Amino acid sequence: MLWPQAAAPESAAMAQALALTTGLLLLTAVLQLWRRSLSGSTSLLAIQGAALAGLVITVAIAEGAPELFAVALLVLALKAAIIPMLLHRTALKTGGTLETSHRVHPTAGLLWAALLTTVAFLAARPLVSASPGPLTKVAPVGLALVLLGFLVLLTRHQAVSQLVGFVILDNGIATVAFLTSGGVPLIVEIGVMIDVLFVVVILRVLASQMRSVFGATDLDDLTELRD
Amino acid sequence: MTVVDLGLAAQFLFALAAVVAALASPTAYRSRLAGTLSAGIGVSGAVAGAGALGGTTATWTLAHPLGPAIGPLAPLTLAPDRLGGFFLLVVGLVGTIASVFGIGYAHGAAASRTGWTAYPLFLLGMQLVPAAGDVLTFLGGWELMALASTVLVLSDHAHRPRVRSAGIWYAVMTHLSFALLALGFAVLTSVAGSTRFADIAGMPVGESTSGVAFVLLTLGFVTKAGLVPVHVWLPRAHPEAPSHVSAVMSAAMVKMGVYGVLLTVTRLLPDAARWWGLALLALALPSALYGILQASVASDLKRLLAYSTTENVGLILTAVSVSMLTRHTGTADVSQIALVAALLLVASHAAFKTVLFLAAGAILAATGERDLDRMGGLAGGMPVTAAAFGVAALGAAALPVTSGFVAEWVLLQSLIHGDVRTDRLTTALLPAIVAVVALTAGLALLTFVKAFGIAFLARPRSEGAAAAHEVSFAMRGALVAGAAGVLALGLLPGLTSSGALAALTSGVSSRGAVGAVVAQPVGLGGIELPTLGALLDPTSLLILGLILTVPIVAISWRLALGIPRRAVDLQWGCGGVRVSPRMQYTATSFAEPLVRVFGDTLRPTQQLEVERAKESRFVVVGATYKQRVGDVIEDRVYRPVARLLGRIGDKARTVQNGSIHRYLAFSFAALVALLVVVVR
Repeated sequence: MLWPQAAAPESAAMAQALALTTGLLLLTAVLQLWRRSLSGSTSLLAIQGAALAGLVITVAIAEGAPELFAVALLVLALKAAIIPMLLHRTALKTGGTLETSHRVHPTAGLLWAALLTTVAFLAARPLVSASPGPLTKVAPVGLALVLLGFLVLLTRHQAVSQLVGFVILDNGIATVAFLTSGGVPLIVEIGVMIDVLFVVVILRVLASQMRSVFGATDLDDLTELRD
Repeated sequence: MTVVDLGLAAQFLFALAAVVAALASPTAYRSRLAGTLSAGIGVSGAVAGAGALGGTTATWTLAHPLGPAIGPLAPLTLAPDRLGGFFLLVVGLVGTIASVFGIGYAHGAAASRTGWTAYPLFLLGMQLVPAAGDVLTFLGGWELMALASTVLVLSDHAHRPRVRSAGIWYAVMTHLSFALLALGFAVLTSVAGSTRFADIAGMPVGESTSGVAFVLLTLGFVTKAGLVPVHVWLPRAHPEAPSHVSAVMSAAMVKMGVYGVLLTVTRLLPDAARWWGLALLALALPSALYGILQASVASDLKRLLAYSTTENVGLILTAVSVSMLTRHTGTADVSQIALVAALLLVASHAAFKTVLFLAAGAILAATGERDLDRMGGLAGGMPVTAAAFGVAALGAAALPVTSGFVAEWVLLQSLIHGDVRTDRLTTALLPAIVAVVALTAGLALLTFVKAFGIAFLARPRSEGAAAAHEVSFAMRGALVAGAAGVLALGLLPGLTSSGALAALTSGVSSRGAVGAVVAQPVGLGGIELPTLGALLDPTSLLILGLILTVPIVAISWRLALGIPRRAVDLQWGCGGVRVSPRMQYTATSFAEPLVRVFGDTLRPTQQLEVERAKESRFVVVGATYKQRVGDVIEDRVYRPVARLLGRIGDKARTVQNGSIHRYLAFSFAALVALLVVVVR
């Protein structure tokens, strides 16, 4: 056995690591609602990606699954570096450095975030009680990330912010997957990540198109989405 | 390897070959190749059907292609029983004749790649339905049939906008039918725990469950069969489809609805409650009457034939419901004879309706006309078509020496002898049914006198009709073969009825409902119903009639030769000398008395516009008169419902304002609501 029993998920160090990474995930998502500048938003996203990678490493040690380290590397490369960088560059290129019109006031946004996190923790109760353990106990964080990502999608207008919301949502799904089933098979994980990357790339192109057509990347300009 | 195996295998191979031929062959040969191969599908189906009807069994189990991937699905089975064999035989023969006709007929959009690809798939789907041995295969074949026929109905959409509306009506109704069937079968399979018909048939089902299943399945099947009030697609889709396709749709596809009803009430749910028969009768009998009434006033030939299909299916299902009713009054042999009558009606209608639709196609090809009011005098230019149409019209009017006569005779026998005076309701109903059947027979006679007389006799009413010429060899061959079928069924009913009786042994009677043979061949291919003491031998009667009449005619002719010819000429013309085609009866004027008599039911709309001179309103410059006989049920039921749905749809569009944020908010609200509900 490559991994000693000392690294059991019950150990205090493990618990600390879990609390740190999931807490960081949640905190970065909540702060997204508060930050206005797009560059701040992308840096938060990078931190969140790093936190997710940390979570994967924690899970890898706890479950004794060496292939998860590869996944962690992948997550780190993609979600902590490549995607935030792409988004940052898009934000610079399209000129919108500030999320101008908040549909929800930042303070109200924080209240909403609290409410949604509560809902997520309540909704995940059956999930937690089904297989109690230190890993599943923090799984509701993933659900909360999904809801918060959705909220970002809803309240932001800039194309880049939309992408940020989408990536948060995807991070939430990944978090739930890692915490409840020790991650999906590597091939699926790679597929999903490449999917996300493609979405980001396509939306980048779309954003620059919007910029050239409307002169801005405000999604409220798109009102022809009906027959 | 039995003959059934051979037929089943061959139909798949022919279908594959026909599709390949349709896609790959050059335009010049496409109709010939694909049509011939499609005829092969029909022949294989007929062979398999004849084998299955004769009692040969075959079970094909196709491993489910998605079985391991999507869970424990039952394998697909093809296992035609005798009843299925009967329908397979009928469908196969109709398909063969229509394909041969199609070789000469298909042109334009119907002869395109799409047209000839959809046609063999349509035939294949239709032949899979009666051969299916489980629910999934049945529904699969059903859907293939529905989709392929929708494509065929739509084939000419580029040139005529009416085709598009017909296609939409057809697609909506056919999917309504499929949804009802899927629900009905779901009820049955959930109780039986198996999708195989054999398992479902042996399973005792509770009364309320079987009632629900019966209602769902019957509604689904009669939608396909075209009973009132779900007949609205028939008078639209049949006329707009290419004629060889309308022949198959009308003569074979609607019979799948009949097969489904028979499958339900004789095999899957044989322990029918009494109200089932009454419910089916309440749909079937008005359909027979309404169908023929609309047919009698229609002037579009194909629309007329479509409504006549509603009438015939109404009669067939009336026979089935009489069988269900009399089964409860203890007269099992009458019940069995009513089922034989239903199957004879199926065979007979398939034969004559194929010929009628194909002949309508031949007229359309020769003159470019579908409107009876613009035909006339076609018998001179198209003698073969006229003869075939005449024979088939005799069959449709249920006159002797044709199939229709025998079938209606058996139906009336069962109705007259079904009265046992133990059940008051049945006793009261049966004479009423006799009256309605008699009325439909009378109206059918009038309808087909009109159709034949106006189209083929008198003088041409349009230039197209005047220039009519006989159609190609393949088309004539198909017409003659079909007409021969109509005559054969009428002259040798014994053979058909023993076939029909054999078909029924896989259903009710295998449960011991009937001991005696209720119908048997007699004499020169005649039919005898021993338990009722009734006997009909058309061939002998025909020979006897000829023996009696030929000498008389010969003698009178010989005597008449001695009398000098008398020339009759008009002395005073009084305007009658200048005979113009416009002075003749038209289809509309011929039916005018009927429109008046049945005005309350048909609700014709009349419009009279009088144009007056400017100088004085007492001087009339011109007048136009328009009369339209619409479909009451369509106008009063379907259109208001469609309008209401449209209005709701328009209202709902305010929700859709084009903002992506609003759409996201919808899904977000749905997600959160779902989570809250799940937690609670």
